Amino acid sequence: MEIRPLLAALWRNKTGPLLVAAQIALTLAVVVNMAYLVHQKLADAGKPTGIDLGNVFWITTEANTSDYNYAAAVKADLAYLNSLPGVVAASTANNIPQTFSNSSLTFAADPQTLLNPSGGTFGTLYFGTDRFIDALGLKLVAGRNFAATTVGPPATDFGSAMSAWVPEVIVTQIFADKVFPKGDALGKTVYVGFINKSCVIVGIVEQMRANPLPSQYDQFATQIVILPAIPPGPGGHYIVRTQPGRRDALMAEVDKNFADLQPGRFVERLEAMDRTAEDAREGYRASAIILAVATFFVVMVTIVGIVGLAAFSVASRTKQLGTRRAIGARKFHILRYFLVENWIITTGGVVLGSLLALAAGVELSSMYQMSQLPLYYLVGGVLMLWVVGLIAVLIPALRAAAISPAVATRTV
Amino acid sequence: MLIHDLRLAVRSLRRNPVLSALMIGAIAVGIAASMISITLYHARAGHPIPWKDDKLFAVTLDTRDDEPPQSFERHPEYPPFQLTYQDARALYTSDIPQHSVMMFRSGQVLTPDNHGVKPFGVSTRVTTADFFTMFDVPFLYGSGWPRAQDDAPGAVVVLSRYMNEKIFGGANSVGRLVVLDGRSYRVVGVIASWMPRPKYYDLNGWEGWEIPEEVFIPFGWGRTLKMSPHGNTNCVRRSAKMDGPDSLYTQECVWLQYWVEVRNRAERDRYQAFVDNYTNEQRLHGRFPRKNNNRVVNVPTWLAMWDVVGEDSRMQLVLGFVFLAVCVLNTIGLMLAKFLAAAPISGLRRALGARRSDITRQHLIEVIVVGLAGGAVGMALTLGGLGGLKVLMFSGRLAHSHNPDRLVLIQSFFHMDIPVMLAAVGLSLLAGILAGLYPAYRIGHLAPATFLKTQ
Repeated sequence: MEIRPLLAALWRNKTGPLLVAAQIALTLAVVVNMAYLVHQKLADAGKPTGIDLGNVFWITTEANTSDYNYAAAVKADLAYLNSLPGVVAASTANNIPQTFSNSSLTFAADPQTLLNPSGGTFGTLYFGTDRFIDALGLKLVAGRNFAATTVGPPATDFGSAMSAWVPEVIVTQIFADKVFPKGDALGKTVYVGFINKSCVIVGIVEQMRANPLPSQYDQFATQIVILPAIPPGPGGHYIVRTQPGRRDALMAEVDKNFADLQPGRFVERLEAMDRTAEDAREGYRASAIILAVATFFVVMVTIVGIVGLAAFSVASRTKQLGTRRAIGARKFHILRYFLVENWIITTGGVVLGSLLALAAGVELSSMYQMSQLPLYYLVGGVLMLWVVGLIAVLIPALRAAAISPAVATRTV
Repeated sequence: MLIHDLRLAVRSLRRNPVLSALMIGAIAVGIAASMISITLYHARAGHPIPWKDDKLFAVTLDTRDDEPPQSFERHPEYPPFQLTYQDARALYTSDIPQHSVMMFRSGQVLTPDNHGVKPFGVSTRVTTADFFTMFDVPFLYGSGWPRAQDDAPGAVVVLSRYMNEKIFGGANSVGRLVVLDGRSYRVVGVIASWMPRPKYYDLNGWEGWEIPEEVFIPFGWGRTLKMSPHGNTNCVRRSAKMDGPDSLYTQECVWLQYWVEVRNRAERDRYQAFVDNYTNEQRLHGRFPRKNNNRVVNVPTWLAMWDVVGEDSRMQLVLGFVFLAVCVLNTIGLMLAKFLAAAPISGLRRALGARRSDITRQHLIEVIVVGLAGGAVGMALTLGGLGGLKVLMFSGRLAHSHNPDRLVLIQSFFHMDIPVMLAAVGLSLLAGILAGLYPAYRIGHLAPATFLKTQ
């Protein structure tokens, strides 16, 4: 292998190779970090919600008269929705899951914890009836549902609703494990900060993700406490789950009838839950696509650079190559020469690029509060650039190998 | 001379169409990437009210308990961005500032007069009277209300331009009645087109990338009608207890935005001293357990504290420039290859009497042509890319929105104004010259003789 002359030739014309190496270094830094960021964004967007998104829809009503009887209207609305053929369950809710609206309180197994500043565990609150977990399609894994008689009537406002606290809650598994790390949450009492109340965990649902928040806010999205109460009015939210395939027809039916069912209020919004979830994740997906497309173009431009430089170096060495062939080098030797030369350039770039990528990774993880860039991303990036470099140089190298030895005898 | 060089440049570019296309393409992609990121960044980094930098100040007090920062707090050193009612009231008594305002965002249901139109929800700003003068809100008809109508609230309302168009067909509606949550309010003013970007006076919700409220009513209605704030309500002390509609007005929870307008620097310093005195005095009553950390900040500082630009925009900006750097490196390589391949021609010109500077200049002209062509193609790519991004990022919100102002806001994220366009032209020239400077220098300094020989 003619390594020494190869290096000497590289050194004599170092500008072009240096440029390509610099390009590869930047490309590696970009590709590795962007791939990680895209992965994070898609992972945030794709986390399971625990909700039967495809068969659920929701309704928001608003009152438009001051004498609107919210308590009576809610009762009638729930009766109507639950009586519709094809509806599995309908419940009220204080916030619609999969939007960014959220109320939370702190909870603890020991009331002393709550006296300690910043003590306690965050729990995102949902007010629901005994049909709430069915209306979302949540899976009860321990304990029981609320009894219909437990569900409190609507209070006049959020504060009074807190005072009229029903001492029973259903929580998510994640919340249960956080407050009772021994795994014995069922039947235990939890204490509530700010409002000085307590309640018993009567049921545990496997999973529910309330908001499509980035992972550093997971505690607000996944630690959920469901209270058996109808939220205060006069605006109301209803969540309805239908049998598979019947949602769209039922949505149209409800939209048509719901407004006239009760005087004094109107339907402000009626939407399919999968649509809501999708819209809330639009930002993640859009950023992921933007970053992926930009990264793809960076790689493309780098390939063009490698091909261009190699093609030039082949063209300007046509005669030497012909001479080498004439004095005994085989096609394979010429091909190998260019592949090795390119590999050396790529490797130089990759070494520099790894340092850049790690530095950028540190910066990025502090910016987005993500964990450190895993090293296998870097290894993957290096391997990819080696392969891309070899493929890019292949066509010019094959062309070089095809140069006829007869070229040596001609003048230009 | 210039014409001659230009002609040579075009001829030289046409000699290697593929290589020329690659160079122009690389520059174009680099320009487009950096221009798109600059446009997105520029739209977010704008300053909504630069002429009041030394007059307009947001007021924050560090009301918090003395407790360690929560893991999710990015800037535990900042005080809460809003005030409790008790503190807002106390500060409001100060006559140091020329104007003061306390306010919050809420929502109501508007029932139009003509029965054909269904009632609909509107966003409401519940504010004291100085809001309109302080934030330089332009009026189409009428004006705001006097301070006297704040506390025993007057049944008056100011409408946004869009609201006035929707319910009164755009006519001068001053003196007419609007029904909000079943109660009648008399219109005293209609705002002309007004969209501060970001909505700096209240950055809750999408970091201020929202449109201003649609109706404005006097502050006193908030308590009278038990209106709930539609922003953030944060109980900043453990002792706070939310147990009734009046809790907002009695408990240690922050939910009000508070701004002052002063006449000059000295007045601002006096006001800061006043605020610090207030918290010192309150500390004697067991409030404000932390050291004084009251911030009276102007709009640029306020926007920076909220980080309205956002990490994504900053990241895109860096990525855009790294992208441009890769493209420029690439073009240097290609340009060098191209010039060296054509070196015999230059050698011949040198041999025939051209000076080094002639050769260098001729190649520089060629480089500039490449840069400008790349810039032109890049500009087209930029416009196309921005259009695509708009659909990608906001198709959901565009489809939902009934208010044309929201469309205007979204458009503005992707708007390329004159400074940005000039930046694009400058950037493409710079990119072209950066990419071509070294190759042109190299080719100018080759000994002619070597290139008159064969390989």
